[in-house]
Amino acid sequence: MTMDRRTVLGMGGAVAAGVLLAPGVQLIAAPPSNETSAAGSQRWAMLVDVNKCTPGCTACLDACRKENNVPLFGDPARDVHWIRKVEVQDKEHRRAPFTLPVLCNHCENPPCVHVCPTLASFIRKDGIVLIDEHRCIGCRYCMIACPYKARSLVYFSTRFPKDGNPRVPIRAKGVVEKCTFCVHRVDDGQLPACVETCQGSGQGAMIFGDINDPQSEIAQRVKTLRTETIRADLGLKPHVHYQGL
Amino acid sequence: MVLLRTVMIVLAVLVTGTALAGEQAADDLVLANGGVRLQKPKGKACIRPTEWMRRNHMDLLIHKQAMTVREGARMRSESLLQCQSCHPNREAFCDRCHDYAGVEPNCFECHNYPE
Repeated sequence: MTMDRRTVLGMGGAVAAGVLLAPGVQLIAAPPSNETSAAGSQRWAMLVDVNKCTPGCTACLDACRKENNVPLFGDPARDVHWIRKVEVQDKEHRRAPFTLPVLCNHCENPPCVHVCPTLASFIRKDGIVLIDEHRCIGCRYCMIACPYKARSLVYFSTRFPKDGNPRVPIRAKGVVEKCTFCVHRVDDGQLPACVETCQGSGQGAMIFGDINDPQSEIAQRVKTLRTETIRADLGLKPHVHYQGL
Repeated sequence: MVLLRTVMIVLAVLVTGTALAGEQAADDLVLANGGVRLQKPKGKACIRPTEWMRRNHMDLLIHKQAMTVREGARMRSESLLQCQSCHPNREAFCDRCHDYAGVEPNCFECHNYPE
């Protein structure tokens, strides 16, 4: 078989194109199926029924500390808290004192994110406010900006606890940490540790879900019941709602 | 005097020979670039070619870190925790090469590497 000059050149060109394209073909291979990703259509939120939250119960606090390897240094001024119980008293005694859990409110307009000089604090597509501890320089602007006192600085070096949760890294000395809505669990389709414990061994005061999904329990309860957020006047649009406050 | 010298030479040869044989006998060690001895990995293949990983694992880890933290893209098969399934001992793999190369990554100040 003989080929004319045009065919030979054409085949050479085809080979060159194939060589050029081949690496690109590998690059756009489909990602493995075990990958998760935060979706922009979702907005995770929490609802706390204050009437069901009993003063002596610390189930959510203990579960959080265990799940996220949150250290206690033994110094109340330096201890790290991702969630804490606050006791509220009516000055005119019209209502008996009650308690409620206070944690990061995962605001839609988070002041902590706005002040962060290194872009370590950020808001994820699904509304969870997080700290990229790899970037945090520990300047504590965010701690001053947050009206909920949700953030703590890690003052001391910590060791990984022996019975610690291997899914959550500990935090190095000199970074700021706070509640993540148990983002590692949420990405796996589980509830945050505090909510799961509250529904299991606690009082069933907390629920968690996607507030953008009209079928979810939280969306329906926020729509139908009278719920409030703490310091709604600040316009931060928190995503931790309270019922019966 | 000659006898003593002979004994010393024989001893030296024996000790060196045993040490060399011992090193060769440790079949759980593999020779990486530049002569550092690392623990032999358990699995059949790494998630990327070995040559590529040797040079670029840090870029891969930083890329995965940003994707996981910022985008919530958690790929279990390629997480740092998964390295442990083939390289069970951090001291004999990560740390030994990092010591040899004189780099001090701070991954393990926070991240757990279960043994």
